[in-house]
Amino acid sequence: MKPARKMFVFLTAFALSVCATAVPALSQTIKVGVVLPLTGSEAAFGEIERNSFQMALDEINAKGGVKGRKIELIFEDDTGKPDVGRSAVEKLISQDKVSVLTGGYSSAVSIGVTALAQQKNIPFLVTTGSADEITEKGYSYVFRINPPASEYPEAVTSFLQEVVKPKTAVILYENTSFGQSSSKSFEGNLKNLGVQLLLKEAYNANAVDFKPILTRVKSMNPDLIYMVSYVMDAALLMRQSKELDINPQLFVGGGAGFTLPEFRENAQAAADNVFSATLWSESVPYPGAMDYYKKYNARFKSNTEYHGTEAYACLYVIADALQRARTFSPSDIRDALASTDTKTAFGPVKFVSYGKKTQQNRLPTFMVQWQRGKLETVWPRNVATKGYIFPTTPWRERK
Amino acid sequence: MKKNLYPLIFLLALIVLPLLLRQEYYQHLIILFMMWVIIGSAWNLLAGYTGRVSFGHAAFFGSGAYAAGLLTYHYAISPWWGMVTGGLLATAVAFPFGWITFRLRGAYFALATLALNEVLKDAAKIAEPLTNGMVGILIMPTFSSKLPYYYIILFMMVLTILCMRLTVHSKLGYYFISIREDQEAAESMGINTTRYKMISLCIGTFWTGLAGAFYMNYMGFIDPSVVFSLQDLSIAAVLVGIVGGVGTIYGPAVGAFIMIAVQEFFRSGFFGLFKYFADKTGSSAFTTVSEFVKTAHTLGFGLLVIFVILLLPNGIVGDWPKIKRKVFRIKPEN
Amino acid sequence: MDVFWQTLVAGILKGGLYALIGIGMTLIMGVMGIINLAQGQLMMVSMYITYVLFSALRIDPYLSLAIAMPALFLLGVLIQKYFLNPLLKVDTILPHNQVLMTVGIGMVLTEVIRFIFKSDYRSVSTTYSNKTFFLGHISFSVALTVAFGIAVMFTLGMFLFLMKTDLGRSIRATAQDKEAATLMGVNTGRITVITFGLGSALAACAGTLLAPVFYIFPDIGGPFTSKAFVITILGGLGSTVGAIFGGLTLGIAESVGSTYLGMDYENIIGMIIFVGVLVFLPSGFKRLTKV
Repeated sequence: MKPARKMFVFLTAFALSVCATAVPALSQTIKVGVVLPLTGSEAAFGEIERNSFQMALDEINAKGGVKGRKIELIFEDDTGKPDVGRSAVEKLISQDKVSVLTGGYSSAVSIGVTALAQQKNIPFLVTTGSADEITEKGYSYVFRINPPASEYPEAVTSFLQEVVKPKTAVILYENTSFGQSSSKSFEGNLKNLGVQLLLKEAYNANAVDFKPILTRVKSMNPDLIYMVSYVMDAALLMRQSKELDINPQLFVGGGAGFTLPEFRENAQAAADNVFSATLWSESVPYPGAMDYYKKYNARFKSNTEYHGTEAYACLYVIADALQRARTFSPSDIRDALASTDTKTAFGPVKFVSYGKKTQQNRLPTFMVQWQRGKLETVWPRNVATKGYIFPTTPWRERK
Repeated sequence: MKKNLYPLIFLLALIVLPLLLRQEYYQHLIILFMMWVIIGSAWNLLAGYTGRVSFGHAAFFGSGAYAAGLLTYHYAISPWWGMVTGGLLATAVAFPFGWITFRLRGAYFALATLALNEVLKDAAKIAEPLTNGMVGILIMPTFSSKLPYYYIILFMMVLTILCMRLTVHSKLGYYFISIREDQEAAESMGINTTRYKMISLCIGTFWTGLAGAFYMNYMGFIDPSVVFSLQDLSIAAVLVGIVGGVGTIYGPAVGAFIMIAVQEFFRSGFFGLFKYFADKTGSSAFTTVSEFVKTAHTLGFGLLVIFVILLLPNGIVGDWPKIKRKVFRIKPEN
Repeated sequence: MDVFWQTLVAGILKGGLYALIGIGMTLIMGVMGIINLAQGQLMMVSMYITYVLFSALRIDPYLSLAIAMPALFLLGVLIQKYFLNPLLKVDTILPHNQVLMTVGIGMVLTEVIRFIFKSDYRSVSTTYSNKTFFLGHISFSVALTVAFGIAVMFTLGMFLFLMKTDLGRSIRATAQDKEAATLMGVNTGRITVITFGLGSALAACAGTLLAPVFYIFPDIGGPFTSKAFVITILGGLGSTVGAIFGGLTLGIAESVGSTYLGMDYENIIGMIIFVGVLVFLPSGFKRLTKV
């Protein structure tokens, strides 16, 4: 009993000393809370985003921080679950007393955090959560840097209108929040273009075998196959399309999966000539984009992708707002964020209201194509790094 | 009287706690804990007392959550009405399901519940016009403070535990236990086993559905993969029951506490303890350990489950006498 | 008509792999009367073994069968010996403690792998991962066809082993009546250990064969566990022939369902067949085939 009591006393004293010493030591920094999935099934992206945040932080602080004060990032793990994400943010707000929140990978977690941020009046800059609803609630403390899921297909639509002029199309999408909303908005675009939609089909992510559905697609012989998939499903879809010898005029990927290096590695030759909509690749014409890509590669010895750029840009946007904010109180930072007009590696950032959305960053989308194992920006024409290859060569005629 | 003393002290503490502990972070954790007590107790009535293990309690939790969410989404009816409908819908799902599957023995019933879980999850994804599919349902939370939610869930938890106690100590409870111990014998004594299994299922799922509806109200957002999650809800409910102790009234409460505590302990690196050491000593070893610990929360819980099943097969509460005995025996040697 | 045949071929090829996973599970279930809810996770472990051998040592997945299977046999033996058999001795309220233990083991396996390899997707891209050949208009994936062949081989081997060898007979005897088998001088404790090892090795075989055509991540086990128990129930407990039928039925049903109903119905179809069989044909296809 006695040792136990001693232990208890020690622990209590220790806990008190933690509380006592922690506060003054850190008051010099500006605290930014970052909630990301650092464990669990989404951890791979959480990791890329955390590295990018860290990279931006080191750069900003090396230049002297903001108004002579350094920024401190406090990372919290949401494990990919909304209720845990909420625990994390409660802690950030009530214990760490952060002045700004950012991060938010999955839509479910981001949505949970937005309500909380609004209630507590702490500005929250959403990094990745792409559900349209996030900026449709009129929350004055919520900003978003990445475009909502429904806007991803815009460049594809103009490409179809001006170049391809397809008559028939098929949409395959993964049954997630992102897949559902972006395929729905693409369906609307197709209707406006007068393209006949032969099939719109959802599948569960990480499916083993796409052959049954692809067989059906083959029998319909569409001009366009539009797929919203994450990287491994994307590779499998293309591999199996090749195996089944499906030859539409073009394959278009509607999201991130098709632009990642892993897609090319896994789909191998089946990746060639595949188009994809994208927000960002290292070849887009934004100052700092290629720079960020190379710096990341050099520092972490691994590839980065657009999620990382979003994170990297996010911290720069926050630093910019802090620089302009009257004081470092959350409400002043909010006002500063609202009047953001800056350029980042992820593109120009400005939070505007349109349609149902408020405080949403609008970005143009691009179209890229895999050509001989390299990802080239092909559309819009004025930013293209290479000409597009269209129509796609049938599989059997390829070398 | 003595038997009720500890629960009453504990209840009083829970009532007073949010007034002393102003940090909403802890209030949030306690809210989650109390929600899990309800889910665990409800699961326990069916599994621990009636001997029918459910591996798909998320099916009922999700039904409850969707009942509340859909009312708001389609008819703009306050989701608090969903508290009642949530429980009822969960029971309505459970009823025909139990009717069909209760003739299955042992593990087959468990597997059937698992299947129900998966079917409902996919159905909620596919029925997009009704459920909004994977985009999910988003509602405005009613209160901006945590306190109303805190006392609502506290009230619900007390009701659940009272309901469990009344049920278990009534005639029903003896029927349940006799079914668990020996179904044939129970039948030969003239107990209509299907009927009593149904009653146990309905009570259990009602409370689970209620917890689901509360989740909708509290979190303000649901989608099929969150509220029908096999791993995070169905399996977690089983583990809460096992760790705490099946077939005991307060076992699920202990299990829920341990689950939430372990998760948060690991996730935050022992509440920042390691980070404190790292900052104090400037040693990178602590930073490494901290990273290590933070990624291990599920692993930690998994190991705990294995440990408990091996050494305390009846859970912490169920094997409390054993723990006490062991501790007492060791003590004189100290 | 091509659509139908292609769908059928896809279903059968996938069914072959399912059968392998199912046989492992059905053995365990038949002999010990427990559902092994870590079966998919065991398969996942073998996929990572294959991945490591392939990426570090350039060992072809088919060759790594010779390493992955014994490794998983050993893992299975250890699990049964130190984690499941001790549970037989203790008295508990719930009869399913062993099942719950497999849940815990599955969780730990997944998390340990995640700890080592993180959540990143990995793949084993061999030269034949993408190869196909055509019969008429129907395309066959080379890797899947080979996998199917190997699956059939192992299944036949397993069947002969259970029917013709002493050890196989002891396993069947234990499955039929444990007390009687003990009285007849069968060391049932040893039999359960060997059975769990064999079941794990078969899961390893399925995992290794699947690796070149699919990809690998820590959470891959769960969905395969649920497929495995669906197959087991379809086939009937402890029936190897039943498991083959179960695997093929599930493969074909999923394929036909995805083509003609919609791919998002894929899982629902499996689950509904499962509940249907549970209720209407409680001993599965075993009742029809009698083996």
